[in-house]
This record gives sequence, C-alpha cells and structure tokens, in this order.
Amino acid sequence: MSLTKVLSDALESGINQIGQLRILRDPLRLHHIDDRDLDSLELHTDPDDAREIGLYTPDGGYRFTKGELSLKTGWIFELGSVEDLRRTIDLFYPASLGLWNAWKNDQIQIQNLRDKLNRQTGMYRHARNVSDEGAQELVRCLCGPSNKCVKKILWKIDDENPLEDSEASRFNGLVGDVDESTAIPMVCQEACNFFVAQARKKSKEEFEAKDQ
Amino acid sequence: MEFTPKPNAALLIVGHGSTENPDSSTPYFDHAREIRRRNVFGEVHCCFWKEEPSMREAIYMIDADEVYVVPDFISEGYFTQDVIPRELGLTGPTTQVHGKTVHYCDPVGIHPSMTSLILQRTDEVAPGVPQEESTLFIVGHGTGLNKNSTKAIKDQVDHIKTLPNCRFADVIDTYMEEPPFIADWGKLAKTPNAVVVPFFIADGLHSYQDIPVMLGFEKEEGLAASQKEVFRRNPYHLQGKTLYYSAAIGTEPMMADVILDQISTFDAQHVAH
Repeated sequence: MSLTKVLSDALESGINQIGQLRILRDPLRLHHIDDRDLDSLELHTDPDDAREIGLYTPDGGYRFTKGELSLKTGWIFELGSVEDLRRTIDLFYPASLGLWNAWKNDQIQIQNLRDKLNRQTGMYRHARNVSDEGAQELVRCLCGPSNKCVKKILWKIDDENPLEDSEASRFNGLVGDVDESTAIPMVCQEACNFFVAQARKKSKEEFEAKDQ
Repeated sequence: MEFTPKPNAALLIVGHGSTENPDSSTPYFDHAREIRRRNVFGEVHCCFWKEEPSMREAIYMIDADEVYVVPDFISEGYFTQDVIPRELGLTGPTTQVHGKTVHYCDPVGIHPSMTSLILQRTDEVAPGVPQEESTLFIVGHGTGLNKNSTKAIKDQVDHIKTLPNCRFADVIDTYMEEPPFIADWGKLAKTPNAVVVPFFIADGLHSYQDIPVMLGFEKEEGLAASQKEVFRRNPYHLQGKTLYYSAAIGTEPMMADVILDQISTFDAQHVAH
C-alpha cells in the first residue's frame, strides 16, 4: 500500500497531528499546533515551501535536526491532495510517515547503538570506543523533547543494555498531551549521524581523560 | 541523451549535507524539484549523509519497487565507494534491499554532460565576454587524501578543451589546497579576462569565503557580509584583469539533466532489455 493511502486512511480514522503539525481536512490544511488564529497565518500552497520554513529556528539558528521542538509558527499550507500533504510532511519531518508505517506493521529494522557505531569507518570509526556510560549520557543530552529531537527511541545500547531511564528514553514520539489515537508518533530506528559525530567527540574526551 | 520515463520507479538523490551550513542541501532539493517537474519518475526523493532524511531512513519513504540511486557528488571517492553503499546496503550495481530492486549509478561529477553545464555556466556568469580573450578556471578543493576529485576536474578540463564550441584561450584546473593554486590565477591567466567556476555541488564556506579570499576580492576575517552577494558583484577588476566568479556548478538547475544522463548510462551498461 502506498504511503499516500496509509496517510489517507489515517486521516479517515481521526489522525490530525504529527510532531508539531496539525492536519485539518476539507480542505486539506497543515499548520503549527501552537497557531490558533488561522486567518492570520501566511498562506502556502507549494509543498516545497516546507523546507524553507523548517530550515531555521525562530531566532535564526540552523535547524538541522528536524525533530527539534523549534519549528516556526505563523504559516498554513492549503493542499490539493493527500499526495501533496505527504510531501509537505516529509519535508517537515523527513521519512516520519514511512518509519511510522513500518514500525506499526512490524517491518522496521532497528539497529542498536553498538552495531551502528561498530560499522562506522573513516573519521567516525573512533566513535565505537565511547563507553556505555558515555553513550547513555549522550542519549540524555542529545535526544528527547528538551534537546534535539522528539522521536521515540526504538534502539538500545546493545542487546544486553537498554537505555537508562530519562525523559529521552521515556518519550513516546507525540508532542503535547494528545490522545494517542489522534496523532502519529515519530520514531527513531537507529542513532542519527549527529549522534555518531557526538559519540566520536565523547570517545575522544574519554580517551584524553584516561590519559591524564 | 533522451531519457526514457520510469513512471513505476523512484529516484533517490544522495547528497552530503551539513550540520553547519543550511545552504548545503539546497542544490539537491532543486535538482529533485526539476526532475519532479518533468514527470519522468514515479517518485523523487533526496537523502543525505549529514542531514535528514538519512540514507538509513530514505528507503522507508519510497513506495516503488524499483529505485535508482544517484550520488550527487562531483567525483568518485570515499563517499561513493564506501559510505553510500554501506549506508544503503548496496553490494553491487543492483541490490535487493528491503524487498526493492535498487540500482546504484555513478556520481554526477564524472559524467561527460557535466562539461556542457560548465560551459553553460560560463555563458551565464560572463555573458558577451569573448572566450578568445578569457581563461576558464575550474576550481576544486584538492587534497592529497582524494585523488579522485582532482581527476574529475582534470578530466573535465581535458574534455572541455576538445569541444568545438569551446573558444576559451585556456582552460585550467586549479585547487584550493594543491598546485596549481587558484590563488595564482592572476599569474596563470595570460588573457585580460578570467572566468572562475567552483567544481562543487553546493555553495558554502569554500565558495562564499575561501575562494573569494584566494582570488583577492574578499578579506580573510569573518564571513562575507551577504554570502550570496559574492556572485552578484561581477565583474571584479583585479591584478589588471577582469574576473567573473560563478556559484558552485551544482547550483546550476540543469544538473537535473546530468542526473538523468547518469541513469541512462547505467541502464545502457547494466539493465537487460
């Protein structure tokens, strides 16, 4: 089944939110969950505009982690089709629909952190040397709604080591106090490249600390 | 090259991206939009090494059972030969991944049609400037770590020189970090005009700051006041010559043609008909 059909069925069943996006029907519209006065919002009809909107935080910072709770307000998309809605959502939250669909159908391939780090090469190969404690600290500092990303973490450190309890490890991928039947959770099937880059830095710090 | 539409296949453009430069991924989205506009693929997606969606996530976005992957990179090298195949789970020209048939094409930068794009860019940045009185510089990073990127530029220079519509007095490959250095452009150009085209996919610190400093029209300290303005203040009068400076070649919208050409080349070489 195409993701467009999956999205269409989800909307029929009452789904109206993903991340910080509110989805309205008849006509199909998309706006920030914090915006209330829809008539005051800047109108967009081209899905490609979503990339520009999501590129910077409200104070002008580069928003390279799309799951960060820093999406600008003040805009609304009016879209002609569910296909256009899918494309717009994919620009705000890349691959989020496909990952959710794979997860709920038990087809998602989760990679634990150690497996992820162990297959890195080049300058990132040293990331594998980060300690378990260091890795757990990175999850607490980088992941979760207070930090860089509102995705639900599906992975563990390795098969024997689950994530320690923290806001990040507990987060369910839904923004705000919402009924789970009305929102699509965003999921994380493996640590991102940003996490790997930070693991490399952490492993270097740990090595230098041992050396002293 | 005429492109045969593939309404049941997906195109996945792979780019590098950046966690520091928001302009880094713009060209890839522009290339995707142009190809989408032509309606020659059932789906067109982008994915990145450093941005979202990652190569690990991208396959989940795709409905089609057949996928063409094109590395939007200027040369073969570590990324096209190691990182991309590893991240996408590719083991050869065609691999079965998550139940899909995934074709892995060569990077855009090594296709002969990049040459037409470079010449088109020179016409845009220096319109009406006699080529016979101009030297064309193609600028790369240059580094001992990656001979392939230098080779890609040298190959382009050699190819340009053979084209009947190339009337440049000279075409020279130059680099930021190895000889011939772009900083020596004034000595290398024996003509009154010089046209400089950065051989990168995206604009960033190299094209906004580093190369302009090496060319002599930007100061070293800090970022350019308005980054894109460096491309809009042509021509620059330096060292007794007139210099025309282009944005990175990857920002040319017709890069879409090179992506499609690379797919056609793949089909000609690998796909049975």
